[in-house]
Amino acid sequence: MADTSHGTGGLTFDKSKRSWPNELNILLALIIIVAIFEILGQVLPYMRGQSFLFDSAGRFDSIFNEARLQIIILQVAIIGIIALGVTQVIITAGIDLSSGPLVAATAMIAMSFAQTELVNGNPNPKAIFGLWAMDLPVIVPIIVGLSFGAFIGAINGTFVAFFRIPPFIATLGMFLICRGIALWWSQGRPISFPTESYKFIGSGMMPVVWFLSLAVLFQLILKYTVYGKHTYAIGSNEEAARMSGINVKRHKVLVYMIASTLAAFAGIVLSAKGATAQAGMGEFYELFAIAMAVIGGISLTGGRGSVIGTVLGAMVIGVIRSGFTYIKLDGSYQLMAMGGIIIAAVVLDQYRQRNRA
Amino acid sequence: MKKTLVIAAALMAMVGSSALAQSIGVSIAKFDDNFLTVMRNGMTEHAATLNGVDLQVEDAADDLAKQIDQVKNFVASGVDAIIVNIVDTSAGAAITEAAGNVPLVFVNREPDNVDSLPATQAFVASNEIESGTLEAFQICRNLRAAGKAGGATGYLMNGQLSNQAAVQRSKDVHDVIGMDMCKFMKLIDEQTANWSRDEAQDLMTNWMASGEPFDFVIANNDEMAIGAIQAMKAAGVDMKAVEVGGVDATQDALVAMQAGELDVTVFQDANGQGKGSVDTALALVAGKKVDRKVYIPFKLVTPENVQDFLSKN
Repeated sequence: MADTSHGTGGLTFDKSKRSWPNELNILLALIIIVAIFEILGQVLPYMRGQSFLFDSAGRFDSIFNEARLQIIILQVAIIGIIALGVTQVIITAGIDLSSGPLVAATAMIAMSFAQTELVNGNPNPKAIFGLWAMDLPVIVPIIVGLSFGAFIGAINGTFVAFFRIPPFIATLGMFLICRGIALWWSQGRPISFPTESYKFIGSGMMPVVWFLSLAVLFQLILKYTVYGKHTYAIGSNEEAARMSGINVKRHKVLVYMIASTLAAFAGIVLSAKGATAQAGMGEFYELFAIAMAVIGGISLTGGRGSVIGTVLGAMVIGVIRSGFTYIKLDGSYQLMAMGGIIIAAVVLDQYRQRNRA
Repeated sequence: MKKTLVIAAALMAMVGSSALAQSIGVSIAKFDDNFLTVMRNGMTEHAATLNGVDLQVEDAADDLAKQIDQVKNFVASGVDAIIVNIVDTSAGAAITEAAGNVPLVFVNREPDNVDSLPATQAFVASNEIESGTLEAFQICRNLRAAGKAGGATGYLMNGQLSNQAAVQRSKDVHDVIGMDMCKFMKLIDEQTANWSRDEAQDLMTNWMASGEPFDFVIANNDEMAIGAIQAMKAAGVDMKAVEVGGVDATQDALVAMQAGELDVTVFQDANGQGKGSVDTALALVAGKKVDRKVYIPFKLVTPENVQDFLSKN
């Protein structure tokens, strides 16, 4: 309590306090979780001594089980793209609940412009539009999808910044609206059979390529640009940010637009990966995206956290999901355990914060 | 007051039925559901081929109160029979009461009071127990034909754990595997992928990461089967060496079957259910004795007969 190093809005600038960055804690937690699964694999009788992360059957050239490493990150890559956006929103002390349904709505809309005319030589049985919309260049569905996302984000941001609606409420409303749009677009019918070039966006490890390159991009932007500095400033102390001449309202709209555009992109990648768009897609994605950010040490009160943390948070969820399947844990237990882990992560983080202040 | 109204309406209905044309009121849970739309079209197309049968089809928009009102309105306007695709299966008694003496057919969704329906009412649907059984048994036969009767291992993908159809289909798979003829099949693991193609991709990839060899994947629906296929193809698995089964016979699944990736799916005859509900309603109006439960059979779809189903669902 004798600490006198408080900066504006609780940001501390004491160099000695930053020697053990938050991200290292998450990395440590990640390693511990992997170790637990590794031990369970040896201890549980039905596992027959399989290894979680290492190549126990001599199937790969490396010492690691490459298939496991790939799926751990592949299964969180798409929600991870959303998490990159929601991280920025949370840093401004906001929240975005609309991203899951936005994924579905964007998938439906983008996929309608990505269909092929012929499937196995027959006309596309899931055609939404006429022949004019068949076999369009892949850039068309991408632009349509991203513009839709940006538009939804602009509405979110406008209501939050200019009409002063609490972000929870504004984006909860948008959550319902987007799910409605997804259902209305094709009257609930799934949209399938996209062009090869569209499928490529989500094929193989492409979702991971998108996720990691976007993560690097936004890590750099948040750390080194004016946009990033303003984002943190608004989250730490909105009043101070306004006093110092930041156009807070305009900046918030921009942050929500970026978040929704990223969620829309996640929708494009998801529909490309499965080669289908369905109105029920993206269920709980918004919650898992927020969970990734929170596990990654992004404070819900704003002003604190980094994209690297979110990426590590995503990895934690990926490892847990893969690990639960690895030890053949039932789906119902998986949900309970996942919930417990998310709460535990926040409790630990808060405890650490209190000790630091 | 309400009762007298109902009785009056029922009387009117009886008067109405003496007229030449038969009118049937239909309330569908929701118009924007793919399966229910095929079923609805099956009703109207069938009615058009019958002389003097007039259908009035209404959308309950997933609103039970609205559906009950629709049934009451049908009664009040003197229809000869009513067909209800119930919004909420636990509200069977309310619909049964609203219909009064007017012949009533529940279609597709089983009301909770199905075992206590009065003589003027019946239920038309497919028997859910068939789908998982047909699917698993065909996989079993295929594995035998492939010379794997000495032992085969595989995975089972469950639909949403809270869903009755998912629970039933998985139970049927277990029952088939328990039979003498199919005892050689062993499940390595079963997990839920929530009916979803995306989750099934991830689940299958996770399973494959363990490196255990497997011969079959049985999914509670086609979407999950397709997700599993996509994951296996991405991992370079030879689709000829693995038996994959789904349920629904969706367009996507049939295309996958034509490509030689999906081996078995099961067709729930939406059109047939629609047609059957109209026929059952007419039989009730004519005073014929009708089974309380009328089952429209599921149909097994394999590469041999896939062509017949391409234009159906």
